[in-house]
Amino acid sequence: MRYALAVYGGPYSQQASHSALRFADALLARGHQLTTVFFYHDGVYNAANMMAPPQDEPHLRDRWLSLAENHATRLQVCVAAGLRRGMLDEREAARHGKQGHTLEAPFELTGLGQLVEATLDNDHLITFA
Amino acid sequence: MSDVMTAPLAGDDAGMAAGDLLVMLRHGPHGSSWLREGLEAAMVAAAFGREVGLLFTGDGVMALLEGQQVGPLGQKGSDNLLAALEMYDVERCYVDAAALRARGLTAQDVTLLPVTLLEHDEVVALTTAFSRVLSF
Amino acid sequence: MNLHLLNRSPFSSRIHDDVLNAMGPEDQLLLIEDGVNGALDNAEQHLAGLEGRLFALREDLESRGLLGRCAENVIVVDVDGFVALTEAADKTVSWF
Repeated sequence: MRYALAVYGGPYSQQASHSALRFADALLARGHQLTTVFFYHDGVYNAANMMAPPQDEPHLRDRWLSLAENHATRLQVCVAAGLRRGMLDEREAARHGKQGHTLEAPFELTGLGQLVEATLDNDHLITFA
Repeated sequence: MSDVMTAPLAGDDAGMAAGDLLVMLRHGPHGSSWLREGLEAAMVAAAFGREVGLLFTGDGVMALLEGQQVGPLGQKGSDNLLAALEMYDVERCYVDAAALRARGLTAQDVTLLPVTLLEHDEVVALTTAFSRVLSF
Repeated sequence: MNLHLLNRSPFSSRIHDDVLNAMGPEDQLLLIEDGVNGALDNAEQHLAGLEGRLFALREDLESRGLLGRCAENVIVVDVDGFVALTEAADKTVSWF
């Protein structure tokens, strides 16, 4: 089956990211496909490229990256929710006259329409908030 | 799109019309961004041509009360988004009657949108009829 | 049949009332994260009428030291079982 996940919880604040990553591993182990993870609300912080947790804690951003690398999962961040919270890729940073950027590939800034598509184009969408 | 899908309550066996996406709103305005972000998701889905339903339940029913204003620092509530729903053709709006009663509110208090009040069986039928539910 | 996911404790909000109000007679409820507090014996009154349809996630019970403290009517599943529940459901509705 084709799955998509929606992640609304902030990393290291809510358990949502941990729960979603654990669920992702389990669904892949059962032979399913994880096409998309959509980050919305405080979930957009999961893409923060400056994330620097202590070494004895899971690096959540790196865990998302490995899903993209090993399972071709698309990591989509709502652009409206992201910009408000300071999550800007190189292009948006330039557009807003900011030094540096806080989000980069394989995370991509996308519109909310992608959440709607992810909801309807997969057999299951599971929300973690 | 079939006639059944465009008629608000002329439904299937369950008494509810089917649709693509039910957006369930469970949080009130100002205290968090759940309500605004949920309404924005509903509008985008409608703009994409999807058949969208809105269910106000829990504290989400507070979104429908008259007299709301901007908060400190000009924080937006949700009333401006509610006013835009019709423009996006989001016309199927439902309110959980139990959530209203629990807060001592009645249908007369719900003035910002034309809504249909649903009792328990109808809430169940609604969540069953839609192919997907997004909650906020 | 819908699967409902609840990640809030019934001792800190009235959210379980809303969940029960939206559940059909065949729907299932899985408690995750802080939701597993609802698996305690004393929480049974809050989640009544779900015989055979009330589940709690083993990993979240274990990490909280609650595995041996569940009410009898709670079915404990691991994350593999969580995926299996979603497979069997028409859709999954999250409550938070």
